[in-house]
Amino acid sequence: MRRSDKVGYWFVVPAFLFMAMFMFYPVIYNGILSVQHVDVMTLLAEEKEFVFLGNYLKAFQDKMFWNALKNTFIFTIGSIAFQFGIGFFLAVLFNRESRSFKFMRAVMMVPYIMPATVSAILFKFIFNVSGGIANEAMLALGLIKQPVEWLLTGKTAMISVIIGNIWCGIPFNMILLSSGLAGIPTELYESAILDGANIFQKFFYITVPQLRSSIEAILVLGFVYTFRCFEMIYVMTGGGPANGTELLTLLSYRSSFMEFNFSQGAAVANILFLILFAVGLFYTKMLGREDAE
Amino acid sequence: MRKNGVLFTQKRMKHIQSSAAVICFLIMIFPLYWLFSSSLKTEASIFSRPPEIFPLHPTFDAYVSQLQQVTFDIMGSFKNSLLISFCTMVISVVLAVPAAYGLARFRLKGKNLIVFLFLVSQMLPQIFTLIPNFIIFKKIGIYNTYWAPILSNCTLAIPFSLMMMRTFFVGIPREIDEAARIDGCNAFQSFTRVMLPMSANGLAVTFVFSFLFGYQDMMYSLTYVTDSSMWPVTTGIYNVVGRYGIEWCRAMAFGCMAVVPVILIFVFMQKYIVQGLTAGAVKG
Repeated sequence: MRRSDKVGYWFVVPAFLFMAMFMFYPVIYNGILSVQHVDVMTLLAEEKEFVFLGNYLKAFQDKMFWNALKNTFIFTIGSIAFQFGIGFFLAVLFNRESRSFKFMRAVMMVPYIMPATVSAILFKFIFNVSGGIANEAMLALGLIKQPVEWLLTGKTAMISVIIGNIWCGIPFNMILLSSGLAGIPTELYESAILDGANIFQKFFYITVPQLRSSIEAILVLGFVYTFRCFEMIYVMTGGGPANGTELLTLLSYRSSFMEFNFSQGAAVANILFLILFAVGLFYTKMLGREDAE
Repeated sequence: MRKNGVLFTQKRMKHIQSSAAVICFLIMIFPLYWLFSSSLKTEASIFSRPPEIFPLHPTFDAYVSQLQQVTFDIMGSFKNSLLISFCTMVISVVLAVPAAYGLARFRLKGKNLIVFLFLVSQMLPQIFTLIPNFIIFKKIGIYNTYWAPILSNCTLAIPFSLMMMRTFFVGIPREIDEAARIDGCNAFQSFTRVMLPMSANGLAVTFVFSFLFGYQDMMYSLTYVTDSSMWPVTTGIYNVVGRYGIEWCRAMAFGCMAVVPVILIFVFMQKYIVQGLTAGAVKG
């Protein structure tokens, strides 16, 4: 190593130490917690009972765990499919460089930077049985015959939280795809028009392949962000009714901070992490592949 | 003739595009509009049928009564939010930006591993550090202080800022650095006098996003801070509205107030938000 490179450590070490203390160590600590028995009595005790994989086995035997896993996948896939589909549609629709289009594109980003807590309360109001605009609008459009108790049954509550989450996530998809679209050389479209390509051919033979790396990144990141979603649902339904919207994140939180079984919560969080880690690994591999290209 | 036909359809396509765009725009921002318009209603007009799309008798009563209630100090919670977001921003920027430079410029042992660790940290679910940090914070005595949410927010903001700035620094030609060094700058001077001014844009993004990380959080304060006088707006709104349930018009008024800082940041920093979203996300 060159001498001049050694000074580089001084730049990196402070941030690394910080993250080591409050991120990397907790990650390891989480692993340790998950093989111990730690509840509110033993929380600060020196010696903790070692239970090995007991907490994991307990999770796998628990109906609530499988319910939460299923809900997490339904929520994630439902959210991503629509966020991505609608985001893509809007990105293409708003792909024009005029002032009014720029203005509209910009304003549509607000849902993304709003605190999730506020969006969640807003959607709780929108899906409220009485006075909620969702019911009124659907009644007016003839989509439903009588008011639906959106947040009071498991399935409809899941639909409600997914819709709320879609609304928050669309801007992320839209902005990333928009900037991808802006990077496609217009000559490609011009020559395609000369060759007589129609709008769908242009979309599937030029737009989609050109945006491939953006699309991959968005889907992977979208998966990660949605899979670990917490506040939106916690505020909107609290995981209810009857655990109908309880995701793995909420299950972990409930075990730890409501039932005070910290090690059980840690085990569930670890399982969640392993799933995300697999996806993350896949993503970094993908980035590595592209860098190599 | 044929050429006119093509022009005609192109023009018509443009009109269709514009109208479709406006309709989609209105649908997308409707919830925001609904948040605002409901905050101007009375509880009676919220439940009126058919619903009042435009408040018939707009009033600020909901704001007044929400601000005057004594169960939760809203103005105090705004101060807390600003304090938490500001500290999150300062700590994250001070730690992440030099680290990004270090990882972008120098050949360091284990560099790839460090970058990988930061990348993975970005993907971790909040809940994952929530439990261990709960115990750690209790042990080191910062449980139930502002530090608990601030440091937790930093664990989110630092990896993001670092990855963002690293892409920025990698984009600045190495020769500029070397020229500064030949002119007699040491590594730190070249960083502060040459690199930072050149990456002002990226710095702005980093500032905006780490502030937003701090402002958006609700969970950390809810979990680590039991004293409600230290809660930020988000935790306050959850507790007041979500848990106990209040009149909807007041809930929406509270929501509108909570969004105001975000809107302000958005109006002045819009350009950087777009950049942050694209740069930070695509290349992770």
